[in-house]
Amino acid sequence: MSSDLHHLGAAYALNALEPHERRSYEGHYPTCDICAAEVSAFRETAAELAAAVAAEPPTDLKAAVMAEIGSTRQMSPSTSPRDELAARRRMGRALPAVAALIALVVGLAAGLLLQRDSGSGVDSVLAADDAVLVDLAGEAGTVLLAWSADRGEVAVVATGLPELASGLGYQLWLIDDDGVVPSRVLEVSSGAVSAAFGAPEGVPLAWGITVEPLAGSNEPTTPVLYVGEV
Amino acid sequence: MRPLRRARGAAVVDVADDEVSLVLRVGRGDEQAFSQLYDLLASMVHGVVLRVIRDPEQAAEVTQEVFVEIWRIAPRYDQHRGSPRAWVATIAHRRAVDRVRSEEASRTRESADARIAVIDVRDTAEEVTDRLDVARVGHALRALSEKQREAVELAYYGGRTHREVATLLEIPEGTAKTRIRDGLIRLRDLLGVDDEL
Repeated sequence: MSSDLHHLGAAYALNALEPHERRSYEGHYPTCDICAAEVSAFRETAAELAAAVAAEPPTDLKAAVMAEIGSTRQMSPSTSPRDELAARRRMGRALPAVAALIALVVGLAAGLLLQRDSGSGVDSVLAADDAVLVDLAGEAGTVLLAWSADRGEVAVVATGLPELASGLGYQLWLIDDDGVVPSRVLEVSSGAVSAAFGAPEGVPLAWGITVEPLAGSNEPTTPVLYVGEV
Repeated sequence: MRPLRRARGAAVVDVADDEVSLVLRVGRGDEQAFSQLYDLLASMVHGVVLRVIRDPEQAAEVTQEVFVEIWRIAPRYDQHRGSPRAWVATIAHRRAVDRVRSEEASRTRESADARIAVIDVRDTAEEVTDRLDVARVGHALRALSEKQREAVELAYYGGRTHREVATLLEIPEGTAKTRIRDGLIRLRDLLGVDDEL
């Protein structure tokens, strides 16, 4: 962890980070006790700044809010990856340029295709009409995922994943409204992944990756390393 | 030393406890509790949203979105990670900033525009200081160096990133980061925000 990252708590609590810094910091602070405590404290301070400029909303707003919540379903209580997701959701969506993302996916897939025969599956998921592309943000490397509901398949293309201790792997999770659904542990070669396989059951709100034993886990046992919203 | 800690310390703790139990009830689908929470926090939410967005109509829209979001995600509120007030203010400020930035992203900003924005935002910063109706926070802000205060206010009330703060103040990015950080640390210490979190 660069020491610089440890100093971003104030700007983060004021929502003053650039999008890429925000993503890096969100990958970092929940796992760092000092930074997590700092963010909590800075947020309390920011709330004081908010209270200092208090202004009454229009009087009819409350009725509108009450009417809307009457027809708004609440989320299920948190599991830890979902909690992270909720935090990220509140940040608003980091919108990568879709064209650039597609170019990157295709480029990565094409590069990997040359070396790995599993690439053809990746290609067909990417080519599916209903393919949804998701950029999973994390600290190191690039993880891109394509999900096709029609084909019931998901493709993962990644590079630059840090090497893990033996016996551990990167496991993919589907995150939906009810919780977390396990997918498989990704086959990694020199930090790269290019694989297509059956998608787990569920309509994803997001996809996440944690480090788990190679046999896979039924629920995440470590913090989320990569996450991206659909 | 916490010279500016709220005088009514015990009463404040009661209020905070109250807000926690309200949010926990909201998380269980209690609309009555939500109504009370709205009454307690609506002026804080609308105030910060209006400060960042400035357009009253858009601000009202965002304030409504914020409260619906609070309702939606209340089951996920974790009292160990912060007070309800801080949780709600974070959501409100972020929504406001997202609204402003998504609009700005759709425009190309010429340097001439940026120049106008400097003047504009600097005025806002002063106006905010003048208008601060919570003496304690006003006092704390005045205890910052002018440079720190300007950077913190541009970031929070102006909804600017630290890079924009650097551009607007014509200082290096590293300097902007340092001013924001030092300013917020000083505010935190002066305001005596809960250290038991």
